[in-house]
Amino acid sequence: MIQAEGLSKTFFVHRKEPGLWGSVKSLVKRTKEPRHAVRGVSFHVGPGEIVGLVGANGAGKTTVVKMLAGIIVPTAGRARVLGYDPWLRDNRMRAQIALIMGQKAQLWWDLPAADCFLLLREIYQIPRQRFDEGLAYLAETLDVDQQLNVQIRRLSLGERMKMELIAALLHSPRVCFLDEPTIGLDLTAQRAIREFLLRYRQDHQPAMLLTSHYMEDIERLCKRILIIRRGELVFDGPLAEVAERYAQHKMVAVELSHEVDRQQLARELEGLGEILPPEEGHEADLGLRLRTPRAQVAALAGRLLQLLPVTDLSIEEEEIGNIIARIMQEREDENENEEGDEE
Amino acid sequence: MRAGLALQVFSVEARKLMSYRTDFWINTVAVFAAKMVVAYYLWTAVFAESGRTTIGGFTQDGMILYYLLAILIGRVVSGGERQMSISQDIYQGSLTRYLIYPTGYGAIKYVEHLGTLVPSLLQLVLFSGVASLLFDFSQLGAVTFASLLRTAVAVAVGNVLLFLMLYVIQGVAFWADNVWSLQVMLRFITSMLGGLMLPLDLFPAWARQILEILPFQTLYYFPVMTLLGRIDTGEWLRTLAVALVWCAMIGGVAHIVWRRGYREYTGVGI
Ligand SMILES: Nc1ncnc2c1ncn2[C@@H]1O[C@H](COP(=O)(O)OP(=O)(O)OP(=O)(O)O)[C@@H](O)[C@H]1O
Ligand SMILES: [Mg+2]
Repeated sequence: MIQAEGLSKTFFVHRKEPGLWGSVKSLVKRTKEPRHAVRGVSFHVGPGEIVGLVGANGAGKTTVVKMLAGIIVPTAGRARVLGYDPWLRDNRMRAQIALIMGQKAQLWWDLPAADCFLLLREIYQIPRQRFDEGLAYLAETLDVDQQLNVQIRRLSLGERMKMELIAALLHSPRVCFLDEPTIGLDLTAQRAIREFLLRYRQDHQPAMLLTSHYMEDIERLCKRILIIRRGELVFDGPLAEVAERYAQHKMVAVELSHEVDRQQLARELEGLGEILPPEEGHEADLGLRLRTPRAQVAALAGRLLQLLPVTDLSIEEEEIGNIIARIMQEREDENENEEGDEE
Repeated sequence: MRAGLALQVFSVEARKLMSYRTDFWINTVAVFAAKMVVAYYLWTAVFAESGRTTIGGFTQDGMILYYLLAILIGRVVSGGERQMSISQDIYQGSLTRYLIYPTGYGAIKYVEHLGTLVPSLLQLVLFSGVASLLFDFSQLGAVTFASLLRTAVAVAVGNVLLFLMLYVIQGVAFWADNVWSLQVMLRFITSMLGGLMLPLDLFPAWARQILEILPFQTLYYFPVMTLLGRIDTGEWLRTLAVALVWCAMIGGVAHIVWRRGYREYTGVGI
């Protein structure tokens, strides 16, 4: 339902030197610099699939979404949404898609939500009965039925996001683009939105592309993820495979009865594992966290018990968020040199 | 655009404006009064100084009446000056939502623009009522149903034409950082050459000939003179034809500007 083939987008940014003199100079001569936001990204999303698009800030996630939603024209490559070229903005396609942007209110700022929804009913030509039922259902599940007559600008961030979600789903879209739908929300609201999205998927089997910086969103919602780094797709596969493929390590955590010299310990554990820096706020703690290759877990545990005054020991899988962060990081290191000339 | 949607957009916009009550009463009344006072004293003085009884074919009362109508009808032609919201949509990225919805942006904006006319129409009725107590309207002569209809047509065409001009100018926001200056320039030109600042009869003959083929006189001069009953049928039809040709041309330009503009749009803000 969503197809991207070799999608690329290059923005041209006007470089302006700071300060007054810079402004004056830019009046005469403006230098345009290319910024390759997205480079040759290809993937497919099928019906009933929620695919997570993850990447660091500025990696190009939003740009991909914008191209697929028909807001900006790709510099190169091909996109198809429900069989249409999104850039042509065919009304038959637009009637079946939705875009939710956590960072930007879409609804009309000075109208009450109820009025916004009425406008949308006309825009999407939703039959009255279906509209009334749908709205009642959505407002109740998201627990905002009391706020329908409040101006959007007077709503809290979470309430507004829920309204945006309702607005985007009233016409039962078959393709949804969700760009950070849970940004800035408290944990309860995040959970409510996640559960809601899962239910929507069950009922409507839409194709969804979701970006989020919250691993929890990704883990709960997405069976498959795309990792994008500096505009390039570096991973496309099942979430479970990320751990299998990339987590060659396990985490070993121990509690000690008294402090030890970490540097000396590091030397003694050479080849068995790596001591992770203490988590923030745990500086002078008696806890110790290590990362070790899967094959070495038993050896490391034995050695630790032998060397240290251990009171407690646990072995865990590496957090998926860390793995993903590392994939993004590793690729960055790999490519550092070849791209040096560009930055 | 479908009627249901148009009605909804229209009503939303009208209600929004009516809810700005302070603006509606204080601002518009004050502006209207100020303009009228200036016109009144200026022309009283001009007539007194020159010692003439008519200037450009207007008597003193006729001149005052021209201004009154130009100001009131002008508000209906130009709407609530909210067209700036188009360039803001481009700068701030609010245009994005209209690209997602299965509907045209220009059509929605025009209906919104029509919504802003509701208060202007109300003011037209209200202020001309008040003014009829202060001034002598007998020269308006025979206002017939036919002449009102003609005036309405002239106002409607002027309204579309001005919207199209603004739509082109606002579209420049895709490329330039500030369309404000262009907009001010357009407003100056249209008021000057459109008959809002002074009746076009005061221009020299050669200038009048040029003005007749330009689009601007349709905006204010044409509807006011129609209502005053000073344009005969032949001339009225000719002016209307010129205006419609301009509508088509500027509409074409708007189409091209916007189609190119969309390619420049980057949907900032997300
Ligand atoms: N309108 C624009 N003009 C110029 N450059 C842009 C524009 N929009 C984005 N970029 C650049 O393109 C790159 C990708 O931006 P994008 O918004 O897609 O990132 P993102 O992955 O969504 O990041 P985030 O997680 O911060 O939302 C960035 O380097 C950004 O500076
Ligand atoms: Mg983003």
